[in-house]
Amino acid sequence: MAKTKFEPKIIGFLCNWCSYGGADLAGVSRLQYPPNVRIIRLMCSGRVDPQFVFKALSDGADGVLVAG
Amino acid sequence: MSKLKLASYWAAACGGCDVATLDIHEKIVDVAAVADIVFWPIAVDFKYADVEGYEDGFIDVCLFHGAIRNSEGEHIAKLLRKKSKVMVAFGSCAISGGIPGLANFKQKDDIFYRVYIESQSTQNPQKVYPQTHYAVPEGVLDLPEFYKDVKSLSDVVDVDYYMPGCPPTSAQIWAVIGVIASGALPPKGAFVGCENQTLCNTCTRAKTDKKVKKFYQPYQIITDPEKCLLEQGLTCMGPVTRAGCSNQCISANHPCTGCYGPVEGVIDQGAKYISALASVVDADSPDEADRIISEIADPAGLFYRYGLPGSLLRRAK
Repeated sequence: MAKTKFEPKIIGFLCNWCSYGGADLAGVSRLQYPPNVRIIRLMCSGRVDPQFVFKALSDGADGVLVAG
Repeated sequence: MSKLKLASYWAAACGGCDVATLDIHEKIVDVAAVADIVFWPIAVDFKYADVEGYEDGFIDVCLFHGAIRNSEGEHIAKLLRKKSKVMVAFGSCAISGGIPGLANFKQKDDIFYRVYIESQSTQNPQKVYPQTHYAVPEGVLDLPEFYKDVKSLSDVVDVDYYMPGCPPTSAQIWAVIGVIASGALPPKGAFVGCENQTLCNTCTRAKTDKKVKKFYQPYQIITDPEKCLLEQGLTCMGPVTRAGCSNQCISANHPCTGCYGPVEGVIDQGAKYISALASVVDADSPDEADRIISEIADPAGLFYRYGLPGSLLRRAK
Protein backbone atom coordinates (compact mmCIF):
# COMPACT_ATOMS: atom_id res chain seq x y z
CA MET A 1 0.00 0.00 0.00
CA ALA A 2 1.27 3.41 -0.90
CA LYS A 3 2.18 5.60 2.02
CA THR A 4 -0.50 8.18 2.63
CA LYS A 5 0.19 11.51 4.22
CA PHE A 6 -1.16 11.82 7.77
CA GLU A 7 -4.28 13.94 7.70
CA PRO A 8 -5.45 14.75 11.21
CA LYS A 9 -9.12 14.78 12.06
CA ILE A 10 -9.82 17.83 14.18
CA ILE A 11 -13.14 18.49 15.86
CA GLY A 12 -13.86 22.21 16.02
CA PHE A 13 -16.30 23.57 18.56
CA LEU A 14 -17.13 27.01 17.20
CA CYS A 15 -19.17 29.85 18.63
CA ASN A 16 -22.17 30.78 16.49
CA TRP A 17 -21.46 34.51 16.71
CA CYS A 18 -17.81 34.75 15.81
CA SER A 19 -15.73 31.76 14.74
CA TYR A 20 -18.65 29.89 13.20
CA GLY A 21 -19.66 33.12 11.48
CA GLY A 22 -16.07 33.35 10.23
CA ALA A 23 -16.12 29.81 8.89
CA ASP A 24 -19.43 30.55 7.22
CA LEU A 25 -18.05 33.71 5.67
CA ALA A 26 -15.03 31.75 4.39
CA GLY A 27 -17.55 29.47 2.70
CA VAL A 28 -19.58 32.19 0.99
CA SER A 29 -16.37 33.99 0.01
CA ARG A 30 -15.20 30.73 -1.60
CA LEU A 31 -11.96 30.73 0.39
CA GLN A 32 -10.28 27.33 0.26
CA TYR A 33 -9.27 25.70 3.52
CA PRO A 34 -8.26 22.14 4.40
CA PRO A 35 -11.10 19.77 5.25
CA ASN A 36 -9.42 18.46 8.41
CA VAL A 37 -11.57 20.46 10.78
CA ARG A 38 -15.03 19.02 11.37
CA ILE A 39 -17.10 21.84 12.78
CA ILE A 40 -19.71 21.61 15.51
CA ARG A 41 -21.62 24.83 15.98
CA LEU A 42 -22.36 25.99 19.51
CA MET A 43 -24.32 29.04 20.56
CA CYS A 44 -21.33 30.02 22.73
CA SER A 45 -17.90 28.51 23.31
CA GLY A 46 -18.83 28.66 27.00
CA ARG A 47 -21.06 25.69 26.21
CA VAL A 48 -17.99 23.47 25.75
CA ASP A 49 -17.87 20.87 28.47
CA PRO A 50 -14.58 19.03 29.11
CA GLN A 51 -16.60 15.87 28.49
CA PHE A 52 -17.01 16.94 24.82
CA VAL A 53 -13.25 17.19 24.45
CA PHE A 54 -12.61 13.81 26.11
CA LYS A 55 -15.33 12.17 24.04
CA ALA A 56 -13.96 13.57 20.78
CA LEU A 57 -10.44 12.37 21.57
CA SER A 58 -11.55 8.95 22.84
CA ASP A 59 -13.67 8.42 19.73
CA GLY A 60 -10.65 8.95 17.49
CA ALA A 61 -10.21 12.67 16.87
CA ASP A 62 -6.57 13.71 16.59
CA GLY A 63 -7.22 17.16 17.94
CA VAL A 64 -9.88 19.47 19.27
CA LEU A 65 -10.23 23.15 18.42
CA VAL A 66 -12.32 25.44 20.58
CA ALA A 67 -12.83 28.86 19.07
CA GLY A 68 -14.98 31.70 20.25
CA MET B 1 -44.36 -17.16 49.08
CA SER B 2 -41.03 -18.91 49.34
CA LYS B 3 -38.15 -17.04 50.91
CA LEU B 4 -35.99 -14.77 48.79
CA LYS B 5 -32.64 -16.29 47.85
CA LEU B 6 -29.89 -13.74 48.34
CA ALA B 7 -26.24 -13.96 47.32
CA SER B 8 -23.35 -11.58 47.78
CA TYR B 9 -19.81 -11.70 46.46
CA TRP B 10 -16.66 -9.63 46.60
CA ALA B 11 -14.30 -9.43 43.65
CA ALA B 12 -11.64 -6.68 43.73
CA ALA B 13 -12.96 -4.91 46.82
CA CYS B 14 -11.79 -4.03 50.30
CA GLY B 15 -14.66 -5.66 52.16
CA GLY B 16 -16.13 -2.32 53.16
CA CYS B 17 -19.37 -3.11 51.32
CA ASP B 18 -19.72 -6.28 53.37
CA VAL B 19 -19.05 -4.34 56.56
CA ALA B 20 -21.65 -1.74 55.56
CA THR B 21 -24.13 -4.56 54.99
CA LEU B 22 -23.37 -6.02 58.42
CA ASP B 23 -23.72 -2.51 59.86
CA ILE B 24 -27.48 -2.81 59.54
CA HIS B 25 -26.90 -4.56 62.88
CA GLU B 26 -29.85 -6.47 64.36
CA LYS B 27 -31.87 -5.89 61.20
CA ILE B 28 -29.75 -8.65 59.66
CA VAL B 29 -32.07 -10.95 61.64
CA ASP B 30 -35.02 -9.40 59.77
CA VAL B 31 -33.17 -10.05 56.51
CA ALA B 32 -32.82 -13.68 57.54
CA ALA B 33 -36.59 -13.75 58.14
CA VAL B 34 -37.39 -12.81 54.53
CA ALA B 35 -34.34 -14.17 52.74
CA ASP B 36 -32.11 -17.22 52.65
CA ILE B 37 -28.49 -16.31 52.14
CA VAL B 38 -27.21 -18.85 49.63
CA PHE B 39 -23.71 -17.43 49.05
CA TRP B 40 -21.75 -14.77 50.92
CA PRO B 41 -18.05 -15.53 51.34
CA ILE B 42 -17.42 -13.11 54.21
CA ALA B 43 -20.28 -14.31 56.39
CA VAL B 44 -21.45 -17.81 55.49
CA ASP B 45 -19.63 -20.95 54.45
CA PHE B 46 -20.76 -21.74 50.93
CA LYS B 47 -18.19 -22.72 48.32
CA TYR B 48 -17.93 -21.99 44.61
CA ALA B 49 -18.95 -25.63 44.02
CA ASP B 50 -22.25 -24.99 45.85
CA VAL B 51 -23.01 -22.10 43.50
CA GLU B 52 -22.08 -24.22 40.49
CA GLY B 53 -24.57 -26.80 41.73
CA TYR B 54 -27.50 -24.35 41.79
CA GLU B 55 -29.92 -24.32 38.88
CA ASP B 56 -29.75 -21.31 36.54
CA GLY B 57 -31.81 -18.45 37.97
CA PHE B 58 -31.89 -20.12 41.41
CA ILE B 59 -30.63 -16.99 43.19
CA ASP B 60 -33.21 -14.17 43.27
CA VAL B 61 -30.82 -11.29 43.93
CA CYS B 62 -27.04 -11.11 43.81
CA LEU B 63 -25.33 -8.12 45.40
CA PHE B 64 -21.96 -8.01 43.65
CA HIS B 65 -19.20 -5.93 45.25
CA GLY B 66 -15.85 -5.15 43.74
CA ALA B 67 -14.23 -4.47 40.41
CA ILE B 68 -13.04 -7.12 37.97
CA ARG B 69 -9.30 -7.29 38.44
CA ASN B 70 -8.49 -10.87 37.44
CA SER B 71 -9.88 -13.95 35.72
CA GLU B 72 -11.33 -15.31 38.97
CA GLY B 73 -13.47 -12.19 39.43
CA GLU B 74 -14.74 -12.45 35.86
CA HIS B 75 -15.41 -16.18 36.18
CA ILE B 76 -17.45 -15.78 39.36
CA ALA B 77 -19.29 -12.73 37.96
CA LYS B 78 -20.36 -14.79 34.93
CA LEU B 79 -21.29 -17.76 37.13
CA LEU B 80 -23.38 -15.60 39.47
CA ARG B 81 -25.01 -13.84 36.52
CA LYS B 82 -26.15 -17.22 35.18
CA LYS B 83 -27.47 -18.33 38.55
CA SER B 84 -29.17 -15.03 39.49
CA LYS B 85 -32.42 -13.46 38.35
CA VAL B 86 -31.31 -9.99 39.42
CA MET B 87 -27.72 -8.75 39.41
CA VAL B 88 -26.91 -5.63 41.42
CA ALA B 89 -23.60 -3.80 40.93
CA PHE B 90 -23.11 -2.90 44.58
CA GLY B 91 -20.73 -0.08 45.49
CA SER B 92 -18.36 2.12 43.48
CA CYS B 93 -15.96 -0.70 42.54
CA ALA B 94 -18.62 -2.84 40.87
CA ILE B 95 -20.18 0.18 39.16
CA SER B 96 -17.15 1.98 37.83
CA GLY B 97 -13.98 0.32 39.12
CA GLY B 98 -13.68 2.21 42.41
CA ILE B 99 -10.38 2.64 44.24
CA PRO B 100 -8.84 -0.51 42.65
CA GLY B 101 -9.62 1.12 39.30
CA LEU B 102 -6.96 3.77 39.97
CA ALA B 103 -4.49 1.03 38.99
CA ASN B 104 -5.44 1.81 35.39
CA PHE B 105 -3.17 4.84 35.67
CA LYS B 106 -0.30 2.30 35.77
CA GLN B 107 0.74 -0.57 33.54
CA LYS B 108 0.52 -4.17 34.72
CA ASP B 109 4.32 -4.55 34.56
CA ASP B 110 4.80 -1.48 36.80
CA ILE B 111 2.32 -2.86 39.34
CA PHE B 112 4.04 -6.27 39.44
CA TYR B 113 7.45 -4.67 39.76
CA ARG B 114 6.27 -2.49 42.63
CA VAL B 115 4.51 -5.30 44.48
CA TYR B 116 6.88 -8.24 43.92
CA ILE B 117 10.28 -6.54 43.62
CA GLU B 118 10.47 -2.95 44.78
CA SER B 119 8.25 -2.55 47.83
CA GLN B 120 10.13 -2.13 51.11
CA SER B 121 8.55 -5.19 52.73
CA THR B 122 9.51 -7.52 49.86
CA GLN B 123 12.54 -9.81 49.68
CA ASN B 124 12.62 -11.46 46.29
CA PRO B 125 16.26 -11.75 45.13
CA GLN B 126 15.37 -14.31 42.45
CA LYS B 127 12.77 -11.93 41.04
CA VAL B 128 10.01 -14.51 41.07
CA TYR B 129 6.70 -13.33 39.67
CA PRO B 130 3.41 -15.18 40.12
CA GLN B 131 2.54 -17.48 37.22
CA THR B 132 -0.93 -18.56 36.16
CA HIS B 133 0.23 -22.20 35.89
CA TYR B 134 3.04 -23.95 37.72
CA ALA B 135 3.90 -27.62 37.55
CA VAL B 136 4.83 -29.38 40.81
CA PRO B 137 5.26 -33.15 41.31
CA GLU B 138 1.71 -33.33 42.68
CA GLY B 139 0.20 -31.70 39.59
CA VAL B 140 -0.33 -28.25 38.10
CA LEU B 141 -1.13 -25.31 40.34
CA ASP B 142 -3.28 -22.52 38.94
CA LEU B 143 -3.58 -18.87 39.89
CA PRO B 144 -6.07 -16.42 38.39
CA GLU B 145 -4.71 -14.23 35.62
CA PHE B 146 -4.11 -10.61 36.64
CA TYR B 147 -5.67 -8.48 33.90
CA LYS B 148 -4.01 -5.57 32.16
CA ASP B 149 -6.90 -3.29 33.14
CA VAL B 150 -9.37 -3.10 35.98
CA LYS B 151 -12.93 -3.45 34.66
CA SER B 152 -16.32 -2.65 36.07
CA LEU B 153 -18.93 -5.38 36.55
CA SER B 154 -20.97 -4.20 33.57
CA ASP B 155 -17.87 -4.62 31.38
CA VAL B 156 -18.14 -8.39 31.82
CA VAL B 157 -21.81 -9.21 32.55
CA ASP B 158 -25.29 -7.74 32.13
CA VAL B 159 -26.21 -5.68 35.21
CA ASP B 160 -29.80 -5.00 36.33
CA TYR B 161 -29.32 -2.35 39.04
CA TYR B 162 -26.61 -0.08 40.31
CA MET B 163 -26.20 0.83 43.96
CA PRO B 164 -23.55 3.53 44.39
CA GLY B 165 -21.36 4.40 47.34
CA CYS B 166 -18.00 3.58 48.86
CA PRO B 167 -19.59 1.90 50.63
CA PRO B 168 -23.35 2.39 50.19
CA THR B 169 -24.73 3.57 53.52
CA SER B 170 -26.30 0.97 55.78
CA ALA B 171 -29.60 2.86 55.81
CA GLN B 172 -29.74 2.74 52.00
CA ILE B 173 -28.80 -0.96 51.98
CA TRP B 174 -31.64 -1.69 54.38
CA ALA B 175 -34.07 0.36 52.27
CA VAL B 176 -33.04 -1.41 49.08
CA ILE B 177 -33.36 -4.86 50.66
CA GLY B 178 -36.86 -3.80 51.72
CA VAL B 179 -37.76 -2.86 48.14
CA ILE B 180 -36.35 -6.13 46.81
CA ALA B 181 -38.26 -8.14 49.42
CA SER B 182 -41.50 -6.31 48.52
CA GLY B 183 -41.04 -7.40 44.89
CA ALA B 184 -41.70 -3.87 43.58
CA LEU B 185 -38.55 -3.75 41.47
CA PRO B 186 -37.59 -0.54 39.64
CA PRO B 187 -36.98 -0.55 35.86
CA LYS B 188 -33.84 -2.32 34.68
CA GLY B 189 -30.70 -0.21 34.71
CA ALA B 190 -31.92 2.00 37.56
CA PHE B 191 -29.64 3.44 40.21
CA VAL B 192 -31.04 2.41 43.57
CA GLY B 193 -30.33 3.54 47.13
CA CYS B 194 -29.53 7.09 46.07
CA GLU B 195 -31.07 10.30 44.73
CA ASN B 196 -30.97 11.81 41.28
CA GLN B 197 -29.58 15.19 42.28
CA THR B 198 -26.18 16.42 43.29
CA LEU B 199 -24.86 16.42 46.82
CA CYS B 200 -24.45 20.20 46.45
CA ASN B 201 -28.20 20.47 45.96
CA THR B 202 -28.84 18.81 49.33
CA CYS B 203 -26.05 20.59 51.23
CA THR B 204 -27.19 23.03 53.91
CA ARG B 205 -23.96 25.01 54.16
CA ALA B 206 -24.16 28.68 53.23
CA LYS B 207 -23.19 29.27 49.62
CA THR B 208 -22.33 32.78 48.52
CA ASP B 209 -19.88 33.77 45.82
CA LYS B 210 -17.50 31.03 44.80
CA LYS B 211 -14.14 32.71 44.30
CA VAL B 212 -11.18 30.54 45.10
CA LYS B 213 -7.71 32.08 45.32
CA LYS B 214 -6.02 29.05 46.88
CA PHE B 215 -6.79 25.35 47.18
CA TYR B 216 -6.08 23.49 50.38
CA GLN B 217 -5.95 19.89 51.51
CA PRO B 218 -8.12 19.11 54.53
CA TYR B 219 -5.18 19.00 56.96
CA GLN B 220 -4.01 22.47 55.94
CA ILE B 221 -7.05 24.42 57.04
CA ILE B 222 -9.59 24.65 59.84
CA THR B 223 -12.88 25.09 58.05
CA ASP B 224 -15.96 27.09 58.96
CA PRO B 225 -18.66 24.43 59.53
CA GLU B 226 -21.41 26.75 58.22
CA LYS B 227 -19.78 27.71 54.93
CA CYS B 228 -19.50 25.90 51.60
CA LEU B 229 -16.29 23.83 51.63
CA LEU B 230 -15.48 24.60 48.00
CA GLU B 231 -15.66 28.33 48.73
CA GLN B 232 -13.13 27.74 51.50
CA GLY B 233 -10.72 26.21 49.00
CA LEU B 234 -11.32 22.52 49.64
CA THR B 235 -11.84 20.40 46.53
CA CYS B 236 -15.31 19.22 47.47
CA MET B 237 -16.77 16.96 44.75
CA GLY B 238 -20.33 17.84 45.83
CA PRO B 239 -21.19 19.72 42.62
CA VAL B 240 -20.65 16.62 40.48
CA THR B 241 -21.60 13.80 42.87
CA ARG B 242 -24.89 12.02 43.34
CA ALA B 243 -26.67 12.57 46.65
CA GLY B 244 -27.95 9.76 48.85
CA CYS B 245 -25.16 9.30 51.39
CA SER B 246 -26.89 11.37 54.12
CA ASN B 247 -24.07 13.91 53.58
CA GLN B 248 -21.84 12.07 56.02
CA CYS B 249 -18.47 13.47 54.98
CA ILE B 250 -19.47 17.10 54.56
CA SER B 251 -21.33 16.96 57.88
CA ALA B 252 -18.00 16.00 59.45
CA ASN B 253 -16.23 18.93 57.73
CA HIS B 254 -14.57 16.67 55.19
CA PRO B 255 -15.02 17.55 51.52
CA CYS B 256 -16.98 15.11 49.40
CA THR B 257 -14.64 12.72 47.55
CA GLY B 258 -17.26 11.71 45.01
CA CYS B 259 -17.97 8.08 45.94
CA TYR B 260 -21.64 8.11 44.87
CA GLY B 261 -20.48 8.82 41.32
CA PRO B 262 -21.88 11.16 38.70
CA VAL B 263 -25.56 11.99 38.39
CA GLU B 264 -27.68 10.67 35.55
CA GLY B 265 -26.67 12.01 32.14
CA VAL B 266 -23.04 12.63 33.11
CA ILE B 267 -20.60 10.12 31.69
CA ASP B 268 -17.39 11.52 33.11
CA GLN B 269 -17.42 12.80 36.68
CA GLY B 270 -13.83 14.06 36.48
CA ALA B 271 -14.45 16.11 33.33
CA LYS B 272 -17.51 17.64 34.97
CA TYR B 273 -15.46 18.55 38.00
CA ILE B 274 -12.80 20.21 35.83
CA SER B 275 -15.63 22.33 34.49
CA ALA B 276 -16.89 23.10 38.01
CA LEU B 277 -13.42 24.04 39.27
CA ALA B 278 -12.72 26.22 36.25
CA SER B 279 -15.76 28.30 37.13
CA VAL B 280 -14.66 29.01 40.72
CA VAL B 281 -10.97 29.82 40.22
CA ASP B 282 -10.59 33.55 40.78
CA ALA B 283 -7.55 34.47 38.72
CA ASP B 284 -6.65 37.82 37.16
CA SER B 285 -3.99 36.40 34.84
CA PRO B 286 -3.11 33.10 33.18
CA ASP B 287 -0.10 32.80 35.51
CA GLU B 288 -2.26 33.18 38.57
CA ALA B 289 -4.70 30.60 37.21
CA ASP B 290 -1.78 28.20 36.69
CA ARG B 291 -0.58 28.76 40.25
CA ILE B 292 -4.02 28.18 41.77
CA ILE B 293 -4.68 25.03 39.71
CA SER B 294 -1.22 23.63 40.45
CA GLU B 295 -2.05 23.63 44.16
CA ILE B 296 -4.59 20.85 43.67
CA ALA B 297 -2.91 17.72 44.99
CA ASP B 298 -3.10 14.66 42.71
CA PRO B 299 -5.83 15.97 40.42
CA ALA B 300 -6.20 12.74 38.40
CA GLY B 301 -6.55 10.65 41.56
CA LEU B 302 -8.95 13.17 43.03
CA PHE B 303 -11.25 13.57 40.01
CA TYR B 304 -11.34 9.84 39.20
CA ARG B 305 -10.97 8.36 42.67
CA TYR B 306 -13.94 6.02 42.28
CA GLY B 307 -14.51 5.78 38.57
CA LEU B 308 -11.45 5.67 36.34
CA PRO B 309 -12.38 2.43 34.47
CA GLY B 310 -15.90 3.75 33.90
CA SER B 311 -14.74 7.18 32.70
CA LEU B 312 -13.87 8.49 29.24
CA LEU B 313 -10.14 8.38 30.00
CA ARG B 314 -8.38 5.58 28.19
CA ARG B 315 -4.88 4.25 28.27
CA ALA B 316 -2.47 5.53 25.65
CA LYS B 317 -2.38 2.96 22.88
